[in-house]
This record gives sequence, structure tokens and C-alpha cells, in this order.
Amino acid sequence: MRYDSITEAIGNTPLVRIDPAVHGLRHIDLYAKLELLNPFGSVKDRAAWNMARPHLAAAAGEGGQVVELSSGNTAKALAVLAGMHGLTFKSVTNRMRIPEIKDLLLLLGAEIEELPGQSECLDPTVTDDPLTQFHRALSEPGSTFLHTDQYFNPRNTEAHFTGTGPEIVKDLDGRAPDWFIACVGTAGSSTGVARALREHDPAVRVAGLVAAKSDFIPGIRTIDEAHEVGLFDPGTYDTIEAVGADEAIEGMLTLNRRCGILAGPTGGAAYFGAVRQLRPIDEELAERDDEEGAERQSAVFIVCDRVESYLSYVRQRRPDLFGRPRRRNSPADLSDAEVRTAPAIGVADAQKWIATGEPLVVDLRSPYAYAALHIDGSVNIVDELFEELLHGGLPFSRSRPVLLACPVGEKSARHAALLTRMGHPDVRSLTGGVIAWRDAGAPLVRD
Amino acid sequence: MGGQPLFLEPRLESRLRSLLNVPGLLHTLTEALGSPLNVVLPDQLADNLQQFRSVYGSHHLSGQVYFAHKANRSSALLRRLAATDAGVDVASLGELQHALGAGFTPGRITATGPKNPEFLWLAARTSVTVSLDTRGELEQLATLVRKHALPRTRILLRLSGFEASGVRVLSRRSRFGTDVGELEPLLEAVERHGDVADLVGVAYHLDTTSLTEKATALEGCLRVLEECRSRGLRPRAVDIGGGFGINYLADAGQWNRYTTQLTEAVLGTRPPLTYGGHGYGLRSEAGTLRGTLGLYPAHRPVAGARYLDELLAHPAASLGGRPLAAQLLEHLYDLHTEPGRALLDQCGLTLTRVLEVRDQETGGPLAVRLAAKAGDVALEEHGVLMDPVVLPRDPTGRTAAAGADTGREPVTVHLFGNLCLESDLITRRTVFLPRRPEPGDLLAFANTAGYCMDFHATRAQHQPVARKVAAWQEGDAWRWCLDDQYWPTTPVGGAQ
Ligand SMILES: Cc1ncc(COP(=O)(O)O)c(C=O)c1O
Repeated sequence: MRYDSITEAIGNTPLVRIDPAVHGLRHIDLYAKLELLNPFGSVKDRAAWNMARPHLAAAAGEGGQVVELSSGNTAKALAVLAGMHGLTFKSVTNRMRIPEIKDLLLLLGAEIEELPGQSECLDPTVTDDPLTQFHRALSEPGSTFLHTDQYFNPRNTEAHFTGTGPEIVKDLDGRAPDWFIACVGTAGSSTGVARALREHDPAVRVAGLVAAKSDFIPGIRTIDEAHEVGLFDPGTYDTIEAVGADEAIEGMLTLNRRCGILAGPTGGAAYFGAVRQLRPIDEELAERDDEEGAERQSAVFIVCDRVESYLSYVRQRRPDLFGRPRRRNSPADLSDAEVRTAPAIGVADAQKWIATGEPLVVDLRSPYAYAALHIDGSVNIVDELFEELLHGGLPFSRSRPVLLACPVGEKSARHAALLTRMGHPDVRSLTGGVIAWRDAGAPLVRD
Repeated sequence: MGGQPLFLEPRLESRLRSLLNVPGLLHTLTEALGSPLNVVLPDQLADNLQQFRSVYGSHHLSGQVYFAHKANRSSALLRRLAATDAGVDVASLGELQHALGAGFTPGRITATGPKNPEFLWLAARTSVTVSLDTRGELEQLATLVRKHALPRTRILLRLSGFEASGVRVLSRRSRFGTDVGELEPLLEAVERHGDVADLVGVAYHLDTTSLTEKATALEGCLRVLEECRSRGLRPRAVDIGGGFGINYLADAGQWNRYTTQLTEAVLGTRPPLTYGGHGYGLRSEAGTLRGTLGLYPAHRPVAGARYLDELLAHPAASLGGRPLAAQLLEHLYDLHTEPGRALLDQCGLTLTRVLEVRDQETGGPLAVRLAAKAGDVALEEHGVLMDPVVLPRDPTGRTAAAGADTGREPVTVHLFGNLCLESDLITRRTVFLPRRPEPGDLLAFANTAGYCMDFHATRAQHQPVARKVAAWQEGDAWRWCLDDQYWPTTPVGGAQ
């Protein structure tokens, strides 16, 4: 496989059979269309390329900018495509809640504009909501924006009608599957593939998956939001079902751990929704099997993108998946009594001690707070870093007395208790912290 | 209408629920004082304050909670709050006078909002802290202080137009506050007027439900305070305004079902859910939904003190990623908040009497006319969708009078006001009620104390404006007095 451009690597993704031992369906072959293997990482590569391709050369000549309302994958593909053609890219969205994707887009040179939240005090007369402003700016005469308009652009659907759909038929030896299951974001992939499959066999049944209303699954819309999409037509789908975030993550873990498919949450939602849809069908087929002999069906779902970008999303919902082994010398090991009886010293005595005993004063606050105001002569070791250091042992000699300071004397008490337990003979926590120090009128400096 | 009734039942916590469980008292009150009638629950305000305080406590933050007076004009509420350790945020001369008269000492008052010279003078005269919107306001204040030999005034600078690094957060433009881009000349003016004005901190109030925008603003304030310190000024507080919101509805499922059905009604795939097919900002263009839903997010699991908690836990990306609370604490700053709506959660209700119940087309919604106008229960004005609670006048003998089984089945109604105006609808929503109301019944609109109770009520139409009573519990019994008669001593002293 030798290409002249990375864009030639878009499409022709594998169709992989899911092991029946994993999904438990006995009369249905379930296949995953691995869109995560597109070069920029998702199913959106196809649509982005198909929408932008005809206009890129012209836009490049005018020094323009590609703009799209996108929260992730389309933006990622467009940012790369724009860069390859000497253009800049801007994404406008209120849905980008995944920090890794935001960072990746910035890394790719994208500009991101986030739409503001809803007004707390309702003003029914507002006419200048940012989305309206965005569209107004696009249509201003002389503007050099290339707006790919993925929610309304028929070339989005077309990319899947001419690419994704026919590829599935080809890989099923010229047959359309009995079932096709896909998540609904822009509706481009589900609509395009459904159209291609039905052209082949009008009996294909299509299930659309939306996010449950109270849940957030990145890339999938809720049923209400789907109605805002120009490409969405409820008539495309035989059923529209909702999937919850927890279910999507469960499905994702199954694909990740048992199938070796490093799918993201939407792939997980599609797998979960597919199995839920197909299980009763499978049981019917089993009954008929007993009476009339075997009949097999096939089903295809789309794996839109990869797991790596969603680690913080998953961590927030399933912290249990990230349990780390316990470390030595951690403040978490201390008993309440140990913390309560940790050696401490009040502001007035601490001032005297600093003057005579020359303790090492360690300020546990952030460098920004430390830089703003601190006790003269203190050193700054942020508590998180300090904790790391302690896992390895005492970071200073036992012969040097130590005074620990934090904002209110709570963290410093924990650390003083820990250092004492680790064998330091003369460590104390500043009672009431830097706040008590300030309130007592003791000097703070910035140097 | 077809289908299941789409109820939007109000969230009722124990105190408000307990009051609604004594309909006899509520009927007596409206008979004596007329419909509409507002009831406020001062003790609830004190409880809500404690919730905010406990969020401060869990983050070890000091600073003041200033109740935003504009959200309700009640004297009882203000006086009850004066008996706690909270502050009050006043936005007019009248509110300042009210706060001083209710017992708030100047150290517990901040003056915000647009100010006329009288307001500014009284604020400076009494030494309340003034949150300044613009450089012009600072100049005006400095001139007043000099000319009238007033004491040196504590000031906050209210800022706007914060931008995040990396990602540009488009913020709703605010009329209020000075753009941070104009900081330099503003701080120069502060330095120039150092003899008459003492900078205690910076402030913002953003009208948004978005945590990210507020986090961006708070982070921006921290950077501005650092700039102030590097100039030798000694600020020590950030005031993050209000807007923490209320969760109005009992059940998320009802809200989700209702809003989905509303979009379908707008798209024409189910019968309308509003008077005249009103779409609350949504419309259908060739089968695609356009516009934005102009409704308050009535079911908001994260509201009030919990919202503050989440904001404080938000990482400050440009300052090393530690949470905002840790940043405030480590920088030794006080946190000030100005909750209005959120502090009034569960603090009151509006009672309205049913005047007439009329059948329209068969099977269509009933027309229910109330002894109140839209401005008295300004749910619609604020986009809050919530069912009223029906309090029958005669809870036992109703079916005999109404005949057969009417009054037992859910009904759909349109709620009209008592003005001779086509537009006087209490709500444009088609409301589902668990049973048919009868003339003489009361419809109680719960949780209206924040803005919905009297913000839009006027006397212009020669209709009575709602009177207001304060109610509190003594043992198992509910006691009440006129709003104006309430003092924190009343419950124990017995002014009755
Ligand atoms: C400066 C200021 N503070 C506080 C508030 C109160 O906001 P809320 O009632 O949403 O808490 C407002 C409302 O307009 C305001 O302008």
C-alpha cells in the first residue's frame, strides 16, 4: 500500500466480526465497521474530506479559514486538512467538554471558540445570541470563510453513501446486512450508509442511537438535538433508541478488553445498542430454528473513533477503573489522632523560632500564590510534589528543623504528622496557616 | 390532548410542603387578604444561607454571602437575614435604605448595579462597600467624597470581558462592568484616587448558567488581583456575583419528557402543548428544528450551593490546574457571593383564587381564570415552567356539587389572568392538573420567592397587587403576620 497523500488513506476500513462468545448472539453475525482506523482517527475523516475537497484550492488562494460547528472529530479532520492546504481552521461549539480533544485541536493549530451557556435571567427578546452572530459573520459580503456546515451539507451524507455503505456490502460478499446500527451525531454516517444498504436490499432494518436526555455522550445527540440537524430525518430509522453514558462505557470496555478494538464511547454505545436491539431477534430466530431449521442473520455497527481521547471523560464517571496501588508514606495512611496531635506552632512562637532556630520554612501552596506573598526566606514545594517526594523518603536531613506552612494549617498538619512518623525529630505545622500569619499582622513579602 | 399527562410537579422541600399541607390556613389567608397573595418563609432563607456557608467551610474559605435584594422586596426576608451573619447586595437607593432600616450595618452591605448620585452619596456616607461599574463611576464617587468630606470609601471594581487562554470562550456581552482590556486606565484612576477610595477587591456578575465561563472570569479576577498587588495595592477579595440558580422541578424525567414533546409539538408531529402553538423560541423550518429554547432549565440538579461548590472545584487551567477554591485560599483572598434566586429557593409561594372554569371545545383544554394577572406570578416572564398545586376549597364535598366523576380525572387547562387583555396568560403552556379545579379553589404557585413573586407586579392596571405575609412554624403550628410586621423577634415575642 503506497500513497502520495495521507488523504488517500481515508476509507476502506476493515469490517471485523465480533466473537459470538462476547456478545452471546447465536444466530446473528455481528460486525464492527472500524472507522477508528481512518488516518485522523474517526468516521468524520470521510465527511470532512468530501465536504472540504472541492473548495480547498480556491480558499487557499484567498487566504481563508475553514470554520465548522464541531466538538471534536470533524474539527480534528478539518484542522489537519486545512493545515495541509495552507489554511487555518476555527471550531465554534458549546459541546466540547473533553479536555484531551480540546488540547489536541490546539496542538493541530485550530482556533476554538466556545459558545456561552444559557442566560440565567431569561431575556426572550435577545437577538444577538452567538450562534446567530456566527452565521451572520459567515454571510457577510467579502468574507473568506469556508463553512463546511456538516449538519446540513449533503456531501456529508454522500461520503457514506458512496464510501462506507458500499464497502460494507463488498465485505459481506455483495450482500447487505439484515441490520445496521449507528449513533446519530450529524446523522451523516447513519443516513448515508442506510441509503446505500437499502438500495442494495430494501429490507435492511436500521436502528439509530441517540444519547439519553439526562446523559452526555460525546459526539452523540439527544433526540431533541437530533431534530436541530438538517440531515436528520426520523424516517431513515426503523427505530430510534436512547443509550446512557454508563451503558456506552460498558460497551466500550467490552470492545476494548475482549475484542481488542480500542473504540471510544460512541463505538461502545453502538455495540451496546446493537446487542440490546438484536437479543430479542436472536431469541426469535432460536425458536424458529427449533421448528424450521437454521436461518442466520447479520448486523453491522459503526465504531466511530478511539478510546485515547476520552480518558478524563471515563475517569470522571468510572473512577473505579483507574484505581492505583497504594503508595508508601502517604498522608492518606494517617489516623485522625495522628493528624490531631501533629506537632504545631502558633504564629507568635513561629516568628520567634524563625528568628532563633533557623528552621527550614516550607510553603506548600502553589507557586503562583507563593510568588504573590510568602513568609520571608521560605522555600516553595507544592503539596502534591511534596507528597511525591515523601514516597521516596525524607527529602531533607533530620538535623534541620522544619516549619511547614499551608493556607489554613490543615495540609501542613497532615504532612507534619507524616514526617514525624517517618522519623523526623523536629518538624512543626504552622497553626492556622499563612492566613493566620497574615491576620496576626506578621510580615509577608514578594521578592 | 392524547397521551399521558405531562406534569411538571414543583420540587417541594419539607418546610414548603408542610405549609401546603394546611390548606385551611391558606384559604383563610386569601379570604382575609385577597387574591393574589404572597407568602414568604423567612426561616428557610436562614437555612439556605447555611448551605452556602457550609460550602465556604468545606473549602476553608472566608468571605461574605451577600443576598441580592433585587430578587424579592420583602421586609420579613430581609429582617430575618439581618438576624444572621449574612450581607446584602443592594442595587438602588431604595434597597439601600431598606437594608439599613432592616438592621444591616454598613460593613455587611455592598452597593452594586447602576447608581444615581443619591445612591452613591448615601452609600459613601454610610461607609458601605461600593462595587463600581466603570471608571466614570469611580470619578463620580471621588468627586462626591471630596466635595462632601465623606469617609474614605471601600470599593470593588466590577469587571467583564474575560478571556480564557487557549480556548476563546465567547461570552454573552454584558452592559455592566469594565472590560478587562480597559484595566490599565482604571487602575491608574484607582491609584490617583487612593486618598478617597480604598480598593478591597474585584467583582464580576455573569448572566450565564455555564460553569466554564464563570471559572474563566474567576481566574481572570485572580490575575487582575495579582496585577493590583504588583502595583502595591492591597486587595483581598473577589466577588463572583450571583446566578447560582434554582432547581424548580421534582422530577428530571418529567422535564425531559415535556421538552421532547414540546419539540415534537413544534415540528407538528404531536398536538400543540401551548396556547396558540407558541414554541418558546423554537420553530420548524422544513422539518428541522430552528431557534433556541427560551426556557429556564427548570430541572437543574446542580444549582444553588452545589453549583458554587462545583465552580470552586473547577481547575484553574492558567494557574497550574489546581482548583479555584485552592487558588483563592492559597492567595489569601476572601470569596464574596451575591446569590439572589438561589438564596430564595423554597422561601415562598403565590396563592391565586380560581374565578371561573370554562369548557372550550370538547376534549380541549379548560379555560381557567384566576384572580391574578401574569405579572403577579411571573413564571412566564422568567421562562420557568412548573405546575401549580391545587388546593380545593372544599376538599371533602366537591364531587356531590360537581356531579358524576368530574374532578377526579387529570385535565388540561389554560391559565388566564384577570386583565382584559388577550395576552394576559399566567403561562402560555397547556397545564396538566391532576383534577378539575372549581371556582373558589386556590392554585398555589410554589417556589416563587426568587424574582417571580413581585419583580413584575405593578399597580398600573388598577388591579390589586398581591399582599405579602410571612409565615413560620412554632412547634407543629404555622403562624403568620403581614410582611411589614415581621421582625426576627416576632416568632418568639409574639406580636400576634
Ligand atoms: C450584580 C448582581 N449580583 C447578584 C445578582 C443576583 O443573581 P441571582 O438572583 O441569579 O443569584 C444579580 C442579578 O441580576 C446581579 O446583577
